[in-house]
Amino acid sequence: MFKEERFSGWYDKNYKILLIIPVIIVLASLIYIGVFYAQNGDIMYKDVSLKGGTSMTIDGNVDTTSLEKNLPSYFSDVSFRKLTDVTTGNKVALIIEASAKPEELKAKISELGVNLTDENSSTEFTGPSLSAGFYKQLMIALVISFVLMSCVIFLLFKSFIPSIAVIFAAFSDILIPLVILDMFGVTISSAGIAAFLMLIGYSVDTDILLTTRALKKVEGTLNHRIFGAFSTGMMMTGTALAAVLPAFLIISGLPDSFRQIFLILSLGLFVDIFSTWLTNASIIKWYCIKHNIK
Amino acid sequence: MKITWKIWLLAIVLILSVLAIAPWHYFDSGVLVKSVEKNSTAYDSGIRSGMVITSINGKAIKNLEEYNNFASTNFISNSSQKLITNTNNGEFIFLANNLSLVVAKVPKSNLKTGLDLSGGARALVQAANASLTKDQVNDLVSITTERFNAFGLSDIAIKSVSDLSGQNYMLIEIAGSTATELKDLLESQGKFEAKVGNDTVFIGGDRDITYVGVSGQDAGIYSCDQGSSNSYYCEFRFVISLSEKASQRQADVTSNLSVNLSSGGRYLEKPLDLFVDDNLLDSLQIGADLKGRATTSIQISGSGTGATQQDAYKDAQASMKKLQTILKTGSLPYKLEIVKLDTISPALGKEFTKNLVYLALLVFGIISVMLLIRYKRMKVTGAVVLTMFSEALITLAVATLLKQNLDAASIAGIIAGMGTGVNDQIVILSESFNKEDTHVKIKERIKRALFVIMGAFFTIIAAMVPLFWAGAGMLRGFALTTIIGVTAGILITRPAFADMVEQIKGD
Repeated sequence: MFKEERFSGWYDKNYKILLIIPVIIVLASLIYIGVFYAQNGDIMYKDVSLKGGTSMTIDGNVDTTSLEKNLPSYFSDVSFRKLTDVTTGNKVALIIEASAKPEELKAKISELGVNLTDENSSTEFTGPSLSAGFYKQLMIALVISFVLMSCVIFLLFKSFIPSIAVIFAAFSDILIPLVILDMFGVTISSAGIAAFLMLIGYSVDTDILLTTRALKKVEGTLNHRIFGAFSTGMMMTGTALAAVLPAFLIISGLPDSFRQIFLILSLGLFVDIFSTWLTNASIIKWYCIKHNIK
Repeated sequence: MKITWKIWLLAIVLILSVLAIAPWHYFDSGVLVKSVEKNSTAYDSGIRSGMVITSINGKAIKNLEEYNNFASTNFISNSSQKLITNTNNGEFIFLANNLSLVVAKVPKSNLKTGLDLSGGARALVQAANASLTKDQVNDLVSITTERFNAFGLSDIAIKSVSDLSGQNYMLIEIAGSTATELKDLLESQGKFEAKVGNDTVFIGGDRDITYVGVSGQDAGIYSCDQGSSNSYYCEFRFVISLSEKASQRQADVTSNLSVNLSSGGRYLEKPLDLFVDDNLLDSLQIGADLKGRATTSIQISGSGTGATQQDAYKDAQASMKKLQTILKTGSLPYKLEIVKLDTISPALGKEFTKNLVYLALLVFGIISVMLLIRYKRMKVTGAVVLTMFSEALITLAVATLLKQNLDAASIAGIIAGMGTGVNDQIVILSESFNKEDTHVKIKERIKRALFVIMGAFFTIIAAMVPLFWAGAGMLRGFALTTIIGVTAGILITRPAFADMVEQIKGD
């Protein structure tokens, strides 16, 4: 257990400095996204469900040498991903993505000696015009979700600064995971964008807990209430991570869209630890001191 | 432990959820009849959709595989045989050269497993060169449903969906691996025309065609032969009846034709050409005695090929079925374009289902250990796990009642919902087991916890609602299960959990 009193003194002196760290990270992320947009014409790498094309999953341990060597000469943007079973290390499936129709891709794969049937393969095809529409709409949905969430927060707390602090934390929870995915070159699917929407709802509960405890409780000092909320909030984030992280990490053979939802939720929850307990906690402490809520 | 009305409510809802899901069907065996051809002997004997076939001619039919084995080994020739079919509704005896039934697996419960779990194909379809209104898409849905039923595809769900920009689509989901048929049926508009020279005699659909033979003496595979060393072919034939107007048209068109004696027989100079989507399917010679006569009965023929006789037979059967379907239902009103097509192999679906069970056990295990370390009370851990389980069960039951297909996204929604549920329970536990706040009554503290929970609830609802429409509702399952989960949490499980915690605290 940490010594609350000693930490309290340190926290009182440094909470404004703690606020600077996430603000710098958010600013750096915004610059990164800006540069990324200038280079790629978009804020993320989109997979076939958002840019059009075919994703083909071939089950089992297929010999892919010939495919990897020859397919790029027919489909310039073809990419390969192998799914392995984490427990055994065995390859369980191969995912091939290309901007092509399923029958074109299938024909070439069969020509290269891999027999494809409805039993051993799965395909996901999205036409280019539809995928452009999907992407636009999901982005609109993301904005609508964010605005609706902001309205709920304003209605809940009815004061500007605490509400903005929660909304800023939610914004960081979306922005920073997106930057991490961009940095690692992860292509994002339509299910991935749904996960970002979910993150809007998922990540703010610790912020609501913190703000409620800091603003509405009358017993104990402000620091004591923030530390109490921190202890509960970390347990919440911990169990939430325990619910979503295994779905991404440990279980293989799940559809890729399913795993991506949990990857994004896990990243968001992890980032939320910092955005709630560094950013939001510092803003709310500052606000409480200014408004004499002790 | 005192059982409060909130805990009773939870118990009752859980019992109703189990009844809604009906997991006891897991032990059922047989095959489910999805549809029966109306003109068939099976239909005449009394077999109807919804019945479960358990044996045929004394041979037990436990599953689809056994049914298909029976069908492929017993109906290779065209001769009719006596079939004694036992179902859950009694015994039916009839003569047939095929079963004329569309069957599917007997569902293991009332849960509707989507493609990601059971394998199958899903297509999002638009008109190729037109933007359709909601009403037009609804018409398209009913025509397509009729066509798919006539073709004999089972376990199919067709509905109209629209997106945020007001575009309307038709969404088709088929369980099982029938992506090829799905594509074939959708991409061919199915415009059938029978022409003599340039004159159209009749077209597909019930305006010109009053009857299409599907079994018995009216339809079947008549001969199979080896073409070359690696190829076989089988010929199919079936009878159709023309309406009076169509047969009169045929009489008028043929009355001007002369008889051609040079081809060795007595045929008219021009044949009856059958076109499907402007491609010539077959040319039938017209006997000289039919010149100028209004004939209502016409025999249509065609063939199928394959590397083995069995393949050729299957191909011929599939071609016959497709042609019969087109003749019965007429052409689709629009040329269709598949804008999204997903197929999931049944093997991947099985693997996914198995992994979901592991995942659920793992998540329950990890969370239990974390709670046990934090609160050091078995009862608390038990109450949290019970609440998580209840939320998942209630969500599954409500999704079943709403006929929501459980796909990967909806299961992700259930897990995410469980995650937020645990968060809320921790807020309640943290308020209840707060050692310093003793001057505030536990009821008061739980009320404070419920404020946080309500706030979190409304933000999740706000975040999920736009997903109902975005992207033609393809991610609706995710939003729906999340919303069901958190709503069940707010209304049923969380209040019961708060009461349980109060009781545990009192012990």
